[in-house]
Amino acid sequence: MSQPSLAKFVIKRPWLHNWLKPLSQWYADSAGYRKLGLRADDLIPEENETVLLAMKRLSPKEQYDRVFRMRRAFQCSIQHQLLPEAEQTKPEEDVPYLTPLIKQIEAEMAEREDLDNIVITKPKVAKS
Amino acid sequence: MLSRQSLGRGAQRVIKRQCCVQLGRRGLATPASGSFQYQTGEANGVKFASRDLPGPTATLALVSKTGTRFEPAPGLTEALEKFAFTATERRSTLRIVRESELLGGEISANHSRENLVLGAKFLRDDLPYYVELLAEVAYRTKYENYILNEEVIPTIQKAHKKFLANVSELAINSAHGVAFHRGLGVPLYPASSTPTSKYITLENVQNFANSAFSKPNFAIVANGADQSELSKWVGEFFSDIPASGKAIESQQQKYYGGEERIAHGSGSAMVIAFSGSSSPTGGFYKPEIQVLASILGGKSSIKWSSGFSVLGKQSASSPGLSVDTKSLIYSDAGLLATTLQGPAEYIAKAAVDVVSTLKSIAGGDLNTELFKKAKAHAKFQELEFGQNVKSGLELTGSGLIQGGKAYQIDETAKAIDAVTESQVKTAAKQLLESKASVSSVGDLHQLPFAEELGLTV
Repeated sequence: MSQPSLAKFVIKRPWLHNWLKPLSQWYADSAGYRKLGLRADDLIPEENETVLLAMKRLSPKEQYDRVFRMRRAFQCSIQHQLLPEAEQTKPEEDVPYLTPLIKQIEAEMAEREDLDNIVITKPKVAKS
Repeated sequence: MLSRQSLGRGAQRVIKRQCCVQLGRRGLATPASGSFQYQTGEANGVKFASRDLPGPTATLALVSKTGTRFEPAPGLTEALEKFAFTATERRSTLRIVRESELLGGEISANHSRENLVLGAKFLRDDLPYYVELLAEVAYRTKYENYILNEEVIPTIQKAHKKFLANVSELAINSAHGVAFHRGLGVPLYPASSTPTSKYITLENVQNFANSAFSKPNFAIVANGADQSELSKWVGEFFSDIPASGKAIESQQQKYYGGEERIAHGSGSAMVIAFSGSSSPTGGFYKPEIQVLASILGGKSSIKWSSGFSVLGKQSASSPGLSVDTKSLIYSDAGLLATTLQGPAEYIAKAAVDVVSTLKSIAGGDLNTELFKKAKAHAKFQELEFGQNVKSGLELTGSGLIQGGKAYQIDETAKAIDAVTESQVKTAAKQLLESKASVSSVGDLHQLPFAEELGLTV
């Protein structure tokens, strides 16, 4: 369940990258999830097989941290408060920890699909 | 009245048949075509043996000296077996399976007490593909936590459950346990109550895999592959392997003997075992043990008959009882084990018969005809076992790893031919004097103690 992304396209072009980076940082910051102590990957909807499997593949520490961040965010949300500055997610902490796993699982499934629909042709040139 | 012509024809036919019979009596060591003997070699430091059997298919196996005997912690051999043919750095599990399907081949992984065997059966032309696959499985398998948790551990747990439900397997493993304690005594499948989750960790599995697939610890064995071709492909695909790695050490297995009784709710089984013979490539080969196993026997190889074996005849009157005597051979030790399975009251009766039969043989009471039959049976079984590609592969591989010697079945057949009656009698006497390993699983109220049978444990 990875979202469509233009990141690769942008990163390939340094001028575009340099130009868009501050913009994306401003956007991520103003989205507000960092102020609740969350990371971008915590926002991925988890109600599907792929993400559930990806979450199972996280290390126990990562799983625990994820649940902790969510509970803290819920608490803040209920109390209509933001976390103190020091506890908010810093931009350098906001790394994709779940997306690589999701991508890996999606690749596995795509491969399965491909292999299921494989068309076999006999090699035309006989082996010498 | 018979006409002259028809008589003549009948006579001709008889003559023809006699000729056929004589042709059929060709020496066992001289097969009609192809080479029956394994040719051994070394490519890039990797030992291999091949036998160019004629035919369109070939069998290839990687035999690694990492059976349960050599595992540093319980369950690791099994984990390694289940990790085989899962995702590698180059291909996913599914791709390996599908590619093999397209080629029409079969891949398998199994383990015994001494060896882990990764095998493949395929059409002759696909040899390079499968040599490459085995090399990839050995050196490029991805040992990842999620594969361990999602695929390996669940299958191991299923195997444990299957093992726990099988009384004869339980009994034979427990007999090995009391006979050898550690090493060969380690059960093939750890029971589910052993704390495997403590031992089957990614790090342990990976370390064990590293030693399993280092050059001194494995061998490649092929059937139906040309020696030079195999040498070429092994040299090519097994070239980038790390040369380091120590040989897995094996200490001479010591025989202890003893008794174990396990209560079990579904069925009963009993194993009466004695110290037996090692494999022909090992140092303690005693062909007379094999003949003795055939004399005791239990399982008939002929339809509608209880067979010639002593226990087979005696157990014919006990419905539901299955008796089987086998000489279980390992590289440097072995067990002569009689497995009794069935209703507990019949087992109790048959167990007495086992001991009394052994005693009478030791006392010199051995029918010459029975001995001849047993010898022929033992020889046939041995040759058939060796000819059976799967078992031959493992024996050859382990022989190569341990002594640099392939298992040649014709030599074994000759050894069995040379067994004399007196040898069998002395063997029986020695067995009774030494300690027995007795293990009973099931209805312990009815199953006898070794002491009651007159055995020393």
